[in-house]
Amino acid sequence: MKIHRAIPVAVLSVAGLVPLWQYEAHTATTTEAAADVGVVPEAQTSAAPPTTTSKNGSGYGTAAPPATTTAKPPATTAAKTVNGKLVKTVHGDVQVQVTFTGDKITAVKFLKQPNTGPTKSAVPVLIQETLQAGTADVDSVSGATQTSEAYVQSLQSAIDAKGN
Amino acid sequence: MIAAVRRVEHIMGFPISVDLRDGDERSHDAVEGAFAWLREVDARFSPFREDSEVARLSRAELGPDELSDELTQVIGLCDFYEESTGGAFRSWLPGRGFDPCAIVKGWAVQGAAEMLHDTGARRFCVNAGGDVVTFGESEPGVPWRVGVRHPERADQLCVVLELRDGAVATSASYERGDHIIDGRTGEPARGLISITVVAGDLTTADAAATAAYAMGVEGIAWAAAQPGCEVFAVDSERRVFRSPGLPVAS
Repeated sequence: MKIHRAIPVAVLSVAGLVPLWQYEAHTATTTEAAADVGVVPEAQTSAAPPTTTSKNGSGYGTAAPPATTTAKPPATTAAKTVNGKLVKTVHGDVQVQVTFTGDKITAVKFLKQPNTGPTKSAVPVLIQETLQAGTADVDSVSGATQTSEAYVQSLQSAIDAKGN
Repeated sequence: MIAAVRRVEHIMGFPISVDLRDGDERSHDAVEGAFAWLREVDARFSPFREDSEVARLSRAELGPDELSDELTQVIGLCDFYEESTGGAFRSWLPGRGFDPCAIVKGWAVQGAAEMLHDTGARRFCVNAGGDVVTFGESEPGVPWRVGVRHPERADQLCVVLELRDGAVATSASYERGDHIIDGRTGEPARGLISITVVAGDLTTADAAATAAYAMGVEGIAWAAAQPGCEVFAVDSERRVFRSPGLPVAS
């Protein structure tokens, strides 16, 4: 049952990243939202104070900015990194770090990730081949769901007509 | 007296072929019973019949206490695949209501095959519009040989599989057009030309093939990771990907 669990976790991990990527559009609240999730300023030129006091950074996937704000972001291209909150999963701890340059996300890296990712252990290595075409003696034919109208011209109808 | 039985009936809009190799005097009745079950499924679970359970559920005419055990099973399967595909597979779609056809087909045919097995049949193959379930072997010591139709050439095969007590299902758009929707976008799924899943039962094989097709290219790895499933997929660039355990005939 390990595989069953692994898939939703993988999906959730990715889903958690999405709000961070969307976050880049909202520049005015970088400082305030970042403070909620643990900011590591590297070369900030003007530390503009937060313009609202709303708390909305409860997790790295929920750091949405407030709806209204008046402050303009500092005109700077300095890089700034924001550490996501540590999230515990059944596979281990996960934490991401996002780097902003100005109002753009320029890098995302994992500060912590499980040693054995769920996809690594669950998905077998797939073999790649070229598409073949041919005929063979078979008992039955699998294909996309066929209508009764299309059946008369199909390989399966020939097999059914032939009998054993 | 052992007599083979071969029957084809058209139910739910597609042909269903039964190839029974070890029939006895009970076999004709058993095959008739299996077809009767499939006609019952059509009446109860077709979204296109106004009085079906599915249509009534779609119109919110059935309360939680009025769902039959079978409908509850189908809803449970739909929920499972919806969750594990991140919403790519969906049984409720805007404008369509509840449409569990993708789940019902494999589940119903697997049930019909188990009815045959319960009456003593041990060597048979059922093909329901391209979805195949096998029991036993075609002859003692010989596995069932199931060809997978080439996605672009109706008279050709692209791989032959060997099955014993296994099922194989294929999802593609070459028969009925872009009928599988990616529930995450609401648009027809187009990342794959076809995907075939082998599993121990047809409920799993059919549901996984449809769900993987809805996911697109990422559905290949998803299907390969499903317990007991092997995969053969052709992506939109005509590249073939298959899992190492796929039972390819030598």
